[in-house]
Amino acid sequence: MVKQSSGGRIYFALLGIVTTAFGLADLLVTASGSEFAYRGFLEIPGDIFRGGWGGIIVLFAGLFYLSGIRNFDDIHQFAKVVMGSILIWVVAGCDIFAMITESIPSWNEETGPWFNTLPDFIAAYAPPYAPSVLLLPFSLVVIYYIRKRASGEEGSGNSS
Amino acid sequence: MKLSTGDRWDLIDKISKETVTFGAYKHTLMDAIGELTIKPMTGIPVAIAIMYGFWSVFGSFAGFFTDGFFVRLFDAYWLPWLQGAFPGQGGWLYAIMVDAGGIESGEFVLSSNCLESFGVLTSGLFVAVGVVLPAIIIFYLMLALLEDIGYMPRLAVLLDTVLHRVGLHGYAIVPTILSLGCNVPGVAATRILETKKQRFIMMTLLAIFIPCGAQISIMQGMMPDLMGWILLYLIIGYFIFGYILNKIVPGKAPEFLIDVPPYRRPLLSNIGKKVGGRVRGFFVVAIPFVLLGCAIVGVLYQLGVIRFLGDALAPVFVGWFGVPKETAGPLIAAFLRKDLAVAQLDAISDIMTPYQMITAVVLVSIYFPCVATFAMMLKEGWKELLGALAVLTVVVFTYGGLIHLIGILLGVA
Repeated sequence: MVKQSSGGRIYFALLGIVTTAFGLADLLVTASGSEFAYRGFLEIPGDIFRGGWGGIIVLFAGLFYLSGIRNFDDIHQFAKVVMGSILIWVVAGCDIFAMITESIPSWNEETGPWFNTLPDFIAAYAPPYAPSVLLLPFSLVVIYYIRKRASGEEGSGNSS
Repeated sequence: MKLSTGDRWDLIDKISKETVTFGAYKHTLMDAIGELTIKPMTGIPVAIAIMYGFWSVFGSFAGFFTDGFFVRLFDAYWLPWLQGAFPGQGGWLYAIMVDAGGIESGEFVLSSNCLESFGVLTSGLFVAVGVVLPAIIIFYLMLALLEDIGYMPRLAVLLDTVLHRVGLHGYAIVPTILSLGCNVPGVAATRILETKKQRFIMMTLLAIFIPCGAQISIMQGMMPDLMGWILLYLIIGYFIFGYILNKIVPGKAPEFLIDVPPYRRPLLSNIGKKVGGRVRGFFVVAIPFVLLGCAIVGVLYQLGVIRFLGDALAPVFVGWFGVPKETAGPLIAAFLRKDLAVAQLDAISDIMTPYQMITAVVLVSIYFPCVATFAMMLKEGWKELLGALAVLTVVVFTYGGLIHLIGILLGVA
Protein backbone atom coordinates (compact mmCIF):
# COMPACT_ATOMS: atom_id res chain seq x y z
CA MET A 1 0.00 0.00 0.00
CA VAL A 2 1.36 3.41 -0.96
CA LYS A 3 1.20 6.04 1.78
CA GLN A 4 -0.30 9.37 0.75
CA SER A 5 -0.21 12.51 2.85
CA SER A 6 -3.10 13.17 5.18
CA GLY A 7 -3.20 16.61 3.52
CA GLY A 8 -4.71 14.89 0.50
CA ARG A 9 -7.52 13.45 2.58
CA ILE A 10 -8.36 16.82 4.08
CA TYR A 11 -8.11 18.58 0.73
CA PHE A 12 -10.44 16.17 -1.06
CA ALA A 13 -12.84 16.10 1.89
CA LEU A 14 -13.19 19.88 1.62
CA LEU A 15 -13.42 19.71 -2.17
CA GLY A 16 -16.02 16.98 -1.84
CA ILE A 17 -18.17 19.11 0.47
CA VAL A 18 -17.94 22.15 -1.85
CA THR A 19 -18.60 20.02 -4.96
CA THR A 20 -21.62 18.34 -3.36
CA ALA A 21 -22.96 21.75 -2.32
CA PHE A 22 -22.52 23.05 -5.88
CA GLY A 23 -24.28 19.98 -7.29
CA LEU A 24 -27.22 20.46 -4.94
CA ALA A 25 -27.30 24.19 -5.76
CA ASP A 26 -27.37 23.31 -9.49
CA LEU A 27 -30.38 21.04 -8.96
CA LEU A 28 -32.23 23.50 -6.73
CA VAL A 29 -31.70 26.39 -9.14
CA THR A 30 -32.87 24.20 -12.05
CA ALA A 31 -35.92 23.11 -10.08
CA SER A 32 -36.76 26.76 -9.40
CA GLY A 33 -36.67 27.42 -13.14
CA SER A 34 -34.43 30.50 -12.93
CA GLU A 35 -30.70 31.28 -13.11
CA PHE A 36 -28.54 32.28 -10.17
CA ALA A 37 -25.54 34.63 -10.31
CA TYR A 38 -23.17 35.65 -7.52
CA ARG A 39 -20.79 38.64 -7.59
CA GLY A 40 -20.14 38.38 -11.29
CA PHE A 41 -18.00 35.25 -11.17
CA LEU A 42 -20.46 32.42 -10.45
CA GLU A 43 -23.49 31.62 -12.54
CA ILE A 44 -25.61 28.53 -11.97
CA PRO A 45 -27.45 27.62 -15.18
CA GLY A 46 -31.17 27.03 -14.81
CA ASP A 47 -31.74 24.93 -17.94
CA ILE A 48 -32.59 21.27 -17.58
CA PHE A 49 -29.54 20.08 -19.56
CA ARG A 50 -26.65 21.98 -17.94
CA GLY A 51 -28.27 22.73 -14.61
CA GLY A 52 -30.25 19.52 -14.18
CA TRP A 53 -28.24 16.80 -15.92
CA GLY A 54 -24.91 18.59 -15.35
CA GLY A 55 -25.88 19.29 -11.72
CA ILE A 56 -26.50 15.60 -11.07
CA ILE A 57 -23.00 14.83 -12.36
CA VAL A 58 -21.40 17.53 -10.16
CA LEU A 59 -23.32 16.09 -7.21
CA PHE A 60 -22.03 12.59 -8.04
CA ALA A 61 -18.49 14.00 -8.30
CA GLY A 62 -18.81 15.40 -4.78
CA LEU A 63 -20.12 12.07 -3.49
CA PHE A 64 -17.22 10.24 -5.19
CA TYR A 65 -14.76 12.54 -3.39
CA LEU A 66 -16.44 12.07 -0.03
CA SER A 67 -16.72 8.33 -0.49
CA GLY A 68 -13.07 8.02 -1.57
CA ILE A 69 -11.39 9.89 1.29
CA ARG A 70 -11.95 7.09 3.79
CA ASN A 71 -8.94 4.75 3.56
CA PHE A 72 -7.55 7.14 0.94
CA ASP A 73 -4.34 5.12 0.50
CA ASP A 74 -6.20 2.09 -0.82
CA ILE A 75 -6.11 2.13 -4.61
CA HIS A 76 -9.83 1.40 -4.96
CA GLN A 77 -10.71 4.29 -2.68
CA PHE A 78 -8.22 6.57 -4.42
CA ALA A 79 -9.81 5.58 -7.75
CA LYS A 80 -13.09 7.05 -6.50
CA VAL A 81 -11.36 10.37 -5.85
CA VAL A 82 -9.86 10.26 -9.35
CA MET A 83 -13.30 9.46 -10.74
CA GLY A 84 -14.74 12.48 -8.91
CA SER A 85 -12.22 14.67 -10.72
CA ILE A 86 -12.94 12.97 -14.06
CA LEU A 87 -16.65 13.76 -13.68
CA ILE A 88 -15.82 17.43 -13.07
CA TRP A 89 -13.51 17.41 -16.11
CA VAL A 90 -16.35 16.05 -18.26
CA VAL A 91 -18.83 18.77 -17.23
CA ALA A 92 -16.28 21.60 -17.20
CA GLY A 93 -14.75 20.39 -20.48
CA CYS A 94 -18.17 20.51 -22.12
CA ASP A 95 -18.77 24.03 -20.77
CA ILE A 96 -15.40 25.23 -22.07
CA PHE A 97 -15.95 23.54 -25.44
CA ALA A 98 -19.34 25.29 -25.67
CA MET A 99 -17.63 28.62 -24.88
CA ILE A 100 -15.08 28.03 -27.66
CA THR A 101 -17.70 27.11 -30.26
CA GLU A 102 -19.84 30.10 -29.29
CA SER A 103 -16.94 32.57 -29.37
CA ILE A 104 -15.77 31.98 -32.96
CA PRO A 105 -18.69 32.64 -35.37
CA SER A 106 -20.34 36.07 -35.59
CA TRP A 107 -23.82 34.44 -35.48
CA ASN A 108 -25.08 36.94 -38.07
CA GLU A 109 -27.84 35.34 -40.12
CA GLU A 110 -27.55 37.94 -42.85
CA THR A 111 -24.48 39.39 -44.52
CA GLY A 112 -21.54 40.78 -42.55
CA PRO A 113 -18.40 39.33 -41.02
CA TRP A 114 -18.37 35.54 -40.65
CA PHE A 115 -16.21 35.54 -37.53
CA ASN A 116 -16.55 37.27 -34.19
CA THR A 117 -14.68 40.52 -33.48
CA LEU A 118 -11.68 40.23 -31.16
CA PRO A 119 -13.34 42.07 -28.21
CA ASP A 120 -16.46 39.87 -28.48
CA PHE A 121 -14.28 36.78 -28.85
CA ILE A 122 -12.40 37.62 -25.63
CA ALA A 123 -15.60 38.65 -23.85
CA ALA A 124 -17.00 35.16 -24.47
CA TYR A 125 -14.42 33.78 -22.01
CA ALA A 126 -15.05 36.37 -19.29
CA PRO A 127 -16.82 35.41 -16.04
CA PRO A 128 -19.35 34.47 -14.70
CA TYR A 129 -18.56 30.77 -14.86
CA ALA A 130 -20.57 27.65 -14.10
CA PRO A 131 -19.69 25.78 -10.85
CA SER A 132 -17.94 22.98 -12.76
CA VAL A 133 -15.55 25.47 -14.41
CA LEU A 134 -14.76 27.05 -11.03
CA LEU A 135 -14.11 23.58 -9.57
CA LEU A 136 -11.89 22.55 -12.48
CA PRO A 137 -8.52 23.97 -11.23
CA PHE A 138 -9.12 22.49 -7.77
CA SER A 139 -9.93 19.08 -9.23
CA LEU A 140 -6.63 19.04 -11.15
CA VAL A 141 -4.77 18.56 -7.86
CA VAL A 142 -5.60 14.88 -8.20
CA ILE A 143 -2.95 14.66 -10.95
CA TYR A 144 -0.29 15.46 -8.33
CA TYR A 145 -1.50 12.56 -6.18
CA ILE A 146 -1.64 10.20 -9.18
CA ARG A 147 2.00 11.04 -9.98
CA LYS A 148 2.97 10.79 -6.34
CA ARG A 149 1.35 7.34 -6.10
CA ALA A 150 3.01 6.22 -9.35
CA SER A 151 6.46 7.32 -8.17
CA GLY A 152 5.81 5.69 -4.76
CA GLU A 153 4.87 2.41 -6.45
CA GLU A 154 7.99 2.53 -8.62
CA GLY A 155 10.13 3.22 -5.54
CA SER A 156 8.61 0.53 -3.33
CA GLY A 157 7.99 -1.91 -6.17
CA ASN A 158 4.63 -2.98 -4.78
CA SER A 159 1.02 -2.06 -4.93
CA SER A 160 -2.10 -2.59 -2.90
CA MET B 1 -7.21 -42.13 -28.67
CA LYS B 2 -10.15 -41.14 -26.48
CA LEU B 3 -9.49 -39.22 -23.23
CA SER B 4 -11.70 -39.40 -20.20
CA THR B 5 -12.81 -36.16 -18.47
CA GLY B 6 -10.20 -36.69 -15.75
CA ASP B 7 -7.45 -37.27 -18.31
CA ARG B 8 -8.43 -34.08 -20.10
CA TRP B 9 -8.16 -32.02 -16.91
CA ASP B 10 -4.77 -33.62 -16.14
CA LEU B 11 -3.61 -32.71 -19.62
CA ILE B 12 -4.86 -29.14 -19.17
CA ASP B 13 -2.96 -28.87 -15.86
CA LYS B 14 0.19 -30.20 -17.49
CA ILE B 15 0.00 -27.79 -20.43
CA SER B 16 -0.81 -24.79 -18.23
CA LYS B 17 2.12 -25.57 -15.90
CA GLU B 18 4.47 -25.53 -18.86
CA THR B 19 3.02 -22.48 -20.60
CA VAL B 20 1.51 -20.14 -17.97
CA THR B 21 3.56 -18.09 -15.52
CA PHE B 22 1.79 -17.37 -12.26
CA GLY B 23 2.62 -14.39 -10.08
CA ALA B 24 1.15 -11.74 -7.82
CA TYR B 25 -1.06 -9.42 -9.85
CA LYS B 26 -0.44 -5.73 -9.41
CA HIS B 27 -3.72 -3.87 -9.32
CA THR B 28 -3.22 -0.59 -11.13
CA LEU B 29 -5.17 2.65 -10.90
CA MET B 30 -6.61 1.98 -14.37
CA ASP B 31 -7.84 -1.43 -13.17
CA ALA B 32 -9.54 0.19 -10.19
CA ILE B 33 -11.14 2.85 -12.41
CA GLY B 34 -12.20 0.11 -14.82
CA GLU B 35 -13.95 -1.72 -11.99
CA LEU B 36 -15.70 1.47 -10.90
CA THR B 37 -17.23 1.87 -14.35
CA ILE B 38 -18.71 -1.64 -14.26
CA LYS B 39 -20.22 -1.75 -10.76
CA PRO B 40 -23.78 -0.33 -10.91
CA MET B 41 -23.43 1.96 -7.86
CA THR B 42 -20.48 3.80 -9.37
CA GLY B 43 -20.84 2.82 -13.04
CA ILE B 44 -24.28 4.39 -13.53
CA PRO B 45 -23.14 7.90 -12.45
CA VAL B 46 -20.17 7.53 -14.80
CA ALA B 47 -22.45 6.42 -17.64
CA ILE B 48 -24.70 9.43 -16.96
CA ALA B 49 -21.63 11.70 -17.15
CA ILE B 50 -20.38 10.11 -20.37
CA MET B 51 -23.78 10.45 -22.04
CA TYR B 52 -23.86 14.09 -20.90
CA GLY B 53 -20.44 14.70 -22.42
CA PHE B 54 -21.48 12.91 -25.61
CA TRP B 55 -24.59 15.04 -26.17
CA SER B 56 -23.06 18.27 -24.97
CA VAL B 57 -20.15 18.02 -27.40
CA PHE B 58 -22.55 16.82 -30.12
CA GLY B 59 -24.76 19.90 -29.63
CA SER B 60 -21.89 22.40 -29.44
CA PHE B 61 -20.05 21.00 -32.48
CA ALA B 62 -23.17 20.64 -34.66
CA GLY B 63 -24.43 24.08 -33.57
CA PHE B 64 -21.04 25.64 -34.34
CA PHE B 65 -21.10 24.52 -37.98
CA THR B 66 -24.86 24.53 -38.66
CA ASP B 67 -26.03 27.68 -36.86
CA GLY B 68 -22.67 29.44 -36.96
CA PHE B 69 -21.93 29.05 -40.67
CA PHE B 70 -24.18 26.80 -42.77
CA VAL B 71 -27.51 28.52 -41.97
CA ARG B 72 -26.07 31.79 -43.16
CA LEU B 73 -24.29 30.28 -46.15
CA PHE B 74 -27.46 28.61 -47.38
CA ASP B 75 -30.09 31.23 -46.37
CA ALA B 76 -28.19 34.45 -47.12
CA TYR B 77 -26.18 33.38 -50.18
CA TRP B 78 -27.10 30.03 -51.74
CA LEU B 79 -30.93 30.32 -51.64
CA PRO B 80 -31.23 33.90 -52.99
CA TRP B 81 -28.68 33.15 -55.72
CA LEU B 82 -30.47 29.96 -56.80
CA GLN B 83 -33.91 31.61 -56.62
CA GLY B 84 -32.67 34.16 -59.14
CA ALA B 85 -30.52 31.94 -61.31
CA PHE B 86 -32.83 28.93 -61.75
CA PRO B 87 -35.24 29.45 -64.65
CA GLY B 88 -39.02 29.03 -64.58
CA GLN B 89 -39.97 30.65 -61.28
CA GLY B 90 -43.42 29.47 -60.18
CA GLY B 91 -43.27 26.38 -62.42
CA TRP B 92 -43.43 22.77 -61.17
CA LEU B 93 -39.73 22.03 -61.84
CA TYR B 94 -38.74 25.22 -60.02
CA ALA B 95 -40.94 24.19 -57.07
CA ILE B 96 -39.39 20.73 -56.88
CA MET B 97 -35.77 21.75 -57.43
CA VAL B 98 -35.55 25.19 -55.78
CA ASP B 99 -38.53 26.66 -53.98
CA ALA B 100 -42.16 25.59 -53.60
CA GLY B 101 -42.79 29.07 -52.18
CA GLY B 102 -46.27 30.20 -51.21
CA ILE B 103 -49.19 32.25 -52.44
CA GLU B 104 -49.93 35.59 -50.78
CA SER B 105 -52.73 37.80 -52.15
CA GLY B 106 -52.81 35.66 -55.27
CA GLU B 107 -49.10 36.15 -55.98
CA PHE B 108 -46.24 33.66 -55.82
CA VAL B 109 -43.91 34.49 -52.91
CA LEU B 110 -40.41 33.04 -52.51
CA SER B 111 -39.32 31.37 -49.27
CA SER B 112 -36.94 33.20 -46.95
CA ASN B 113 -34.96 30.19 -45.77
CA CYS B 114 -33.85 26.77 -46.92
CA LEU B 115 -36.02 24.82 -44.50
CA GLU B 116 -39.22 26.34 -45.89
CA SER B 117 -38.34 26.12 -49.56
CA PHE B 118 -38.56 22.28 -49.82
CA GLY B 119 -36.46 22.19 -52.98
CA VAL B 120 -34.00 19.41 -53.80
CA LEU B 121 -31.14 21.88 -54.28
CA THR B 122 -32.11 24.04 -51.29
CA SER B 123 -33.73 22.09 -48.43
CA GLY B 124 -32.23 18.81 -49.64
CA LEU B 125 -28.67 20.09 -49.81
CA PHE B 126 -29.01 22.15 -46.64
CA VAL B 127 -30.25 19.17 -44.61
CA ALA B 128 -27.66 16.80 -46.06
CA VAL B 129 -24.59 19.05 -45.90
CA GLY B 130 -25.48 21.87 -43.52
CA VAL B 131 -27.21 19.87 -40.81
CA VAL B 132 -26.48 16.16 -41.09
CA LEU B 133 -22.79 16.23 -42.05
CA PRO B 134 -21.46 18.03 -38.92
CA ALA B 135 -23.78 15.99 -36.68
CA ILE B 136 -22.75 12.67 -38.17
CA ILE B 137 -19.03 13.48 -38.06
CA ILE B 138 -19.07 14.40 -34.36
CA PHE B 139 -21.39 11.49 -33.50
CA TYR B 140 -19.13 8.89 -35.07
CA LEU B 141 -16.02 10.59 -33.68
CA MET B 142 -17.34 10.39 -30.13
CA LEU B 143 -18.52 6.80 -30.66
CA ALA B 144 -15.11 5.75 -32.04
CA LEU B 145 -13.40 7.37 -29.03
CA LEU B 146 -15.60 5.47 -26.57
CA GLU B 147 -14.96 2.22 -28.46
CA ASP B 148 -11.20 2.69 -28.63
CA ILE B 149 -10.84 3.75 -25.00
CA GLY B 150 -12.62 0.53 -24.05
CA TYR B 151 -15.75 2.02 -22.53
CA MET B 152 -18.36 0.31 -24.75
CA PRO B 153 -17.89 -3.24 -23.33
CA ARG B 154 -18.27 -1.77 -19.85
CA LEU B 155 -21.48 -0.04 -20.85
CA ALA B 156 -22.68 -3.39 -22.25
CA VAL B 157 -22.00 -5.10 -18.90
CA LEU B 158 -23.60 -2.25 -16.98
CA LEU B 159 -26.82 -2.33 -19.01
CA ASP B 160 -27.04 -6.12 -19.30
CA THR B 161 -29.60 -6.54 -16.49
CA VAL B 162 -31.84 -3.75 -17.81
CA LEU B 163 -31.71 -5.03 -21.38
CA HIS B 164 -32.59 -8.57 -20.25
CA ARG B 165 -35.98 -7.17 -19.23
CA VAL B 166 -36.67 -6.50 -22.91
CA GLY B 167 -35.38 -9.87 -24.06
CA LEU B 168 -31.96 -8.57 -25.06
CA HIS B 169 -28.54 -8.51 -23.41
CA GLY B 170 -25.70 -6.05 -22.92
CA TYR B 171 -24.43 -6.35 -26.51
CA ALA B 172 -27.74 -4.80 -27.68
CA ILE B 173 -26.29 -1.44 -26.68
CA VAL B 174 -24.05 -1.60 -29.79
CA PRO B 175 -26.86 -1.61 -32.42
CA THR B 176 -28.83 0.83 -30.26
CA ILE B 177 -26.04 3.41 -30.14
CA LEU B 178 -25.07 2.80 -33.78
CA SER B 179 -28.70 3.50 -34.70
CA LEU B 180 -28.48 6.89 -33.03
CA GLY B 181 -26.11 7.67 -35.92
CA CYS B 182 -28.01 5.85 -38.66
CA ASN B 183 -30.56 3.02 -38.41
CA VAL B 184 -29.01 1.18 -41.38
CA PRO B 185 -25.73 0.07 -39.69
CA GLY B 186 -27.79 -0.40 -36.52
CA VAL B 187 -30.00 -2.99 -38.22
CA ALA B 188 -26.90 -4.66 -39.70
CA ALA B 189 -25.36 -4.82 -36.20
CA THR B 190 -28.32 -6.83 -34.86
CA ARG B 191 -26.46 -9.84 -36.30
CA ILE B 192 -24.25 -9.85 -33.19
CA LEU B 193 -27.28 -11.08 -31.23
CA GLU B 194 -27.55 -14.86 -31.02
CA THR B 195 -31.21 -15.81 -31.45
CA LYS B 196 -33.93 -14.93 -33.95
CA LYS B 197 -36.08 -13.63 -31.11
CA GLN B 198 -33.39 -11.18 -30.00
CA ARG B 199 -32.68 -10.02 -33.53
CA PHE B 200 -36.40 -9.47 -34.21
CA ILE B 201 -36.96 -7.52 -30.97
CA MET B 202 -33.85 -5.41 -31.55
CA MET B 203 -34.66 -4.65 -35.18
CA THR B 204 -38.24 -3.69 -34.33
CA LEU B 205 -37.21 -1.44 -31.44
CA LEU B 206 -34.54 0.26 -33.57
CA ALA B 207 -36.94 0.91 -36.42
CA ILE B 208 -39.57 2.36 -34.10
CA PHE B 209 -37.95 4.07 -31.13
CA ILE B 210 -34.40 5.07 -32.05
CA PRO B 211 -34.15 8.39 -33.90
CA CYS B 212 -31.18 8.63 -36.28
CA GLY B 213 -28.43 11.26 -36.00
CA ALA B 214 -29.91 13.30 -38.83
CA GLN B 215 -33.27 13.50 -37.08
CA ILE B 216 -31.64 14.29 -33.73
CA SER B 217 -29.54 17.07 -35.25
CA ILE B 218 -32.63 18.64 -36.83
CA MET B 219 -34.50 18.38 -33.53
CA GLN B 220 -31.52 19.89 -31.73
CA GLY B 221 -31.49 22.81 -34.16
CA MET B 222 -35.23 23.38 -34.56
CA MET B 223 -36.75 22.53 -31.21
CA PRO B 224 -34.05 22.21 -28.52
CA ASP B 225 -36.53 22.96 -25.70
CA LEU B 226 -38.77 20.04 -26.64
CA MET B 227 -36.03 17.53 -27.39
CA GLY B 228 -35.80 16.19 -23.83
CA TRP B 229 -39.51 15.35 -23.78
CA ILE B 230 -39.42 13.73 -27.21
CA LEU B 231 -36.46 11.52 -26.25
CA LEU B 232 -38.10 10.67 -22.92
CA TYR B 233 -41.24 9.42 -24.72
CA LEU B 234 -39.08 7.36 -27.08
CA ILE B 235 -37.00 5.82 -24.26
CA ILE B 236 -40.14 4.92 -22.27
CA GLY B 237 -41.68 3.40 -25.41
CA TYR B 238 -38.47 1.42 -26.09
CA PHE B 239 -38.73 -0.31 -22.73
CA ILE B 240 -42.53 -0.71 -22.56
CA PHE B 241 -42.84 -2.30 -26.00
CA GLY B 242 -39.56 -4.20 -25.60
CA TYR B 243 -40.97 -5.75 -22.42
CA ILE B 244 -44.22 -6.68 -24.20
CA LEU B 245 -42.36 -8.12 -27.21
CA ASN B 246 -40.18 -10.19 -24.88
CA LYS B 247 -43.33 -11.71 -23.38
CA ILE B 248 -45.13 -12.48 -26.64
CA VAL B 249 -42.35 -13.35 -29.12
CA PRO B 250 -41.39 -17.04 -28.84
CA GLY B 251 -37.72 -18.03 -28.60
CA LYS B 252 -34.73 -17.78 -26.30
CA ALA B 253 -32.84 -14.80 -24.91
CA PRO B 254 -29.52 -16.28 -23.74
CA GLU B 255 -26.94 -14.75 -21.42
CA PHE B 256 -23.76 -13.33 -22.93
CA LEU B 257 -20.09 -13.63 -22.17
CA ILE B 258 -17.87 -10.65 -22.81
CA ASP B 259 -14.17 -10.04 -22.48
CA VAL B 260 -13.79 -6.58 -20.94
CA PRO B 261 -10.49 -5.11 -22.14
CA PRO B 262 -8.42 -2.69 -20.03
CA TYR B 263 -8.75 1.02 -20.71
CA ARG B 264 -6.36 2.09 -23.44
CA ARG B 265 -5.15 5.29 -25.03
CA PRO B 266 -7.04 5.68 -28.35
CA LEU B 267 -5.02 5.60 -31.56
CA LEU B 268 -5.58 8.51 -33.91
CA SER B 269 -5.19 6.29 -36.98
CA ASN B 270 -7.89 3.88 -35.71
CA ILE B 271 -10.27 6.72 -34.94
CA GLY B 272 -9.64 8.29 -38.36
CA LYS B 273 -10.30 5.02 -40.20
CA LYS B 274 -13.50 4.29 -38.25
CA VAL B 275 -14.95 7.78 -38.57
CA GLY B 276 -13.97 8.06 -42.26
CA GLY B 277 -15.50 4.69 -43.14
CA ARG B 278 -18.72 5.30 -41.24
CA VAL B 279 -19.24 8.84 -42.54
CA ARG B 280 -18.59 7.64 -46.11
CA GLY B 281 -21.02 4.75 -45.63
CA PHE B 282 -23.64 7.06 -44.19
CA PHE B 283 -23.37 9.46 -47.08
CA VAL B 284 -23.57 6.78 -49.73
CA VAL B 285 -26.85 5.66 -48.14
CA ALA B 286 -28.27 8.95 -46.91
CA ILE B 287 -27.46 11.63 -49.52
CA PRO B 288 -29.36 9.97 -52.39
CA PHE B 289 -32.35 9.37 -50.11
CA VAL B 290 -32.38 12.96 -48.82
CA LEU B 291 -32.33 14.38 -52.34
CA LEU B 292 -34.72 11.76 -53.72
CA GLY B 293 -36.99 12.21 -50.71
CA CYS B 294 -37.13 15.95 -51.30
CA ALA B 295 -37.96 15.40 -54.98
CA ILE B 296 -40.72 12.83 -54.29
CA VAL B 297 -42.32 14.95 -51.56
CA GLY B 298 -42.18 17.92 -53.92
CA VAL B 299 -43.91 15.93 -56.68
CA LEU B 300 -46.56 14.66 -54.24
CA TYR B 301 -47.23 18.23 -53.10
CA GLN B 302 -47.47 19.44 -56.69
CA LEU B 303 -49.91 16.63 -57.59
CA GLY B 304 -52.07 17.42 -54.56
CA VAL B 305 -51.59 13.90 -53.14
CA ILE B 306 -50.46 15.14 -49.75
CA ARG B 307 -53.39 17.53 -49.41
CA PHE B 308 -55.75 14.69 -50.38
CA LEU B 309 -54.18 12.33 -47.83
CA GLY B 310 -54.25 15.05 -45.19
CA ASP B 311 -57.97 15.53 -45.74
CA ALA B 312 -58.66 11.79 -45.88
CA LEU B 313 -56.67 11.03 -42.73
CA ALA B 314 -57.77 14.14 -40.84
CA PRO B 315 -60.15 12.28 -38.47
CA VAL B 316 -57.29 9.97 -37.41
CA PHE B 317 -54.72 12.76 -37.04
CA VAL B 318 -57.02 15.19 -35.25
CA GLY B 319 -59.24 12.77 -33.33
CA TRP B 320 -56.87 9.97 -32.35
CA PHE B 321 -53.41 11.56 -32.25
CA GLY B 322 -54.50 15.13 -31.44
CA VAL B 323 -52.33 16.78 -34.11
CA PRO B 324 -53.42 19.05 -37.00
CA LYS B 325 -54.19 17.43 -40.37
CA GLU B 326 -51.28 19.40 -41.87
CA THR B 327 -48.92 16.84 -40.26
CA ALA B 328 -49.96 14.36 -42.99
CA GLY B 329 -47.32 15.79 -45.33
CA PRO B 330 -44.42 15.44 -42.91
CA LEU B 331 -45.56 11.92 -41.98
CA ILE B 332 -45.49 10.86 -45.62
CA ALA B 333 -42.10 12.53 -46.03
CA ALA B 334 -40.93 10.59 -42.96
CA PHE B 335 -40.96 7.38 -44.97
CA LEU B 336 -38.30 8.89 -47.21
CA ARG B 337 -36.35 10.94 -44.66
CA LYS B 338 -37.28 11.52 -41.04
CA ASP B 339 -34.97 14.53 -40.76
CA LEU B 340 -36.82 16.24 -43.60
CA ALA B 341 -40.12 15.40 -41.94
CA VAL B 342 -39.06 17.07 -38.67
CA ALA B 343 -37.92 20.12 -40.64
CA GLN B 344 -41.35 20.21 -42.32
CA LEU B 345 -43.04 19.99 -38.93
CA ASP B 346 -40.97 22.93 -37.73
CA ALA B 347 -42.16 24.92 -40.74
CA ILE B 348 -45.79 24.48 -39.57
CA SER B 349 -44.98 24.96 -35.87
CA ASP B 350 -47.08 28.14 -35.71
CA ILE B 351 -50.29 26.11 -36.04
CA MET B 352 -49.31 23.64 -33.28
CA THR B 353 -49.03 23.82 -29.50
CA PRO B 354 -45.73 22.60 -27.98
CA TYR B 355 -47.42 19.37 -26.87
CA GLN B 356 -48.80 18.78 -30.37
CA MET B 357 -45.27 19.31 -31.69
CA ILE B 358 -43.89 16.73 -29.24
CA THR B 359 -46.64 14.27 -30.29
CA ALA B 360 -46.02 14.92 -34.00
CA VAL B 361 -42.23 14.42 -33.72
CA VAL B 362 -42.69 11.24 -31.66
CA LEU B 363 -45.13 10.03 -34.36
CA VAL B 364 -42.57 10.81 -37.06
CA SER B 365 -40.04 8.73 -35.12
CA ILE B 366 -42.24 5.71 -34.40
CA TYR B 367 -44.02 5.79 -37.74
CA PHE B 368 -42.75 3.73 -40.70
CA PRO B 369 -38.92 3.36 -40.78
CA CYS B 370 -37.19 5.46 -43.42
CA VAL B 371 -36.85 3.75 -46.79
CA ALA B 372 -33.11 3.01 -46.32
CA THR B 373 -33.83 1.19 -43.05
CA PHE B 374 -36.80 -0.53 -44.70
CA ALA B 375 -34.47 -1.87 -47.43
CA MET B 376 -31.95 -3.05 -44.82
CA MET B 377 -34.66 -4.84 -42.83
CA LEU B 378 -35.88 -6.54 -45.99
CA LYS B 379 -32.33 -7.78 -46.52
CA GLU B 380 -32.47 -9.39 -43.05
CA GLY B 381 -35.59 -11.37 -44.02
CA TRP B 382 -39.10 -10.58 -45.30
CA LYS B 383 -40.81 -12.44 -42.44
CA GLU B 384 -38.96 -10.31 -39.89
CA LEU B 385 -39.83 -7.19 -41.88
CA LEU B 386 -43.55 -8.06 -42.00
CA GLY B 387 -43.54 -8.90 -38.29
CA ALA B 388 -41.80 -5.61 -37.47
CA LEU B 389 -44.30 -3.67 -39.58
CA ALA B 390 -47.23 -5.35 -37.83
CA VAL B 391 -45.77 -4.42 -34.46
CA LEU B 392 -45.08 -0.92 -35.74
CA THR B 393 -48.70 -0.40 -36.80
CA VAL B 394 -49.96 -1.47 -33.39
CA VAL B 395 -47.35 0.71 -31.64
CA VAL B 396 -48.15 3.82 -33.70
CA PHE B 397 -51.84 3.65 -32.85
CA THR B 398 -51.55 2.60 -29.21
CA TYR B 399 -48.59 4.78 -28.25
CA GLY B 400 -49.69 7.76 -30.37
CA GLY B 401 -53.16 7.55 -28.78
CA LEU B 402 -51.64 7.12 -25.32
CA ILE B 403 -49.50 10.25 -25.71
CA HIS B 404 -52.62 12.16 -26.76
CA LEU B 405 -54.48 10.78 -23.74
CA ILE B 406 -51.64 11.84 -21.40
CA GLY B 407 -51.83 15.32 -22.94
CA ILE B 408 -55.60 15.45 -22.35
CA LEU B 409 -55.20 14.32 -18.73
CA LEU B 410 -52.47 16.92 -18.15
CA GLY B 411 -54.58 19.55 -19.89
CA VAL B 412 -51.89 20.38 -22.48
CA ALA B 413 -53.15 18.52 -25.56
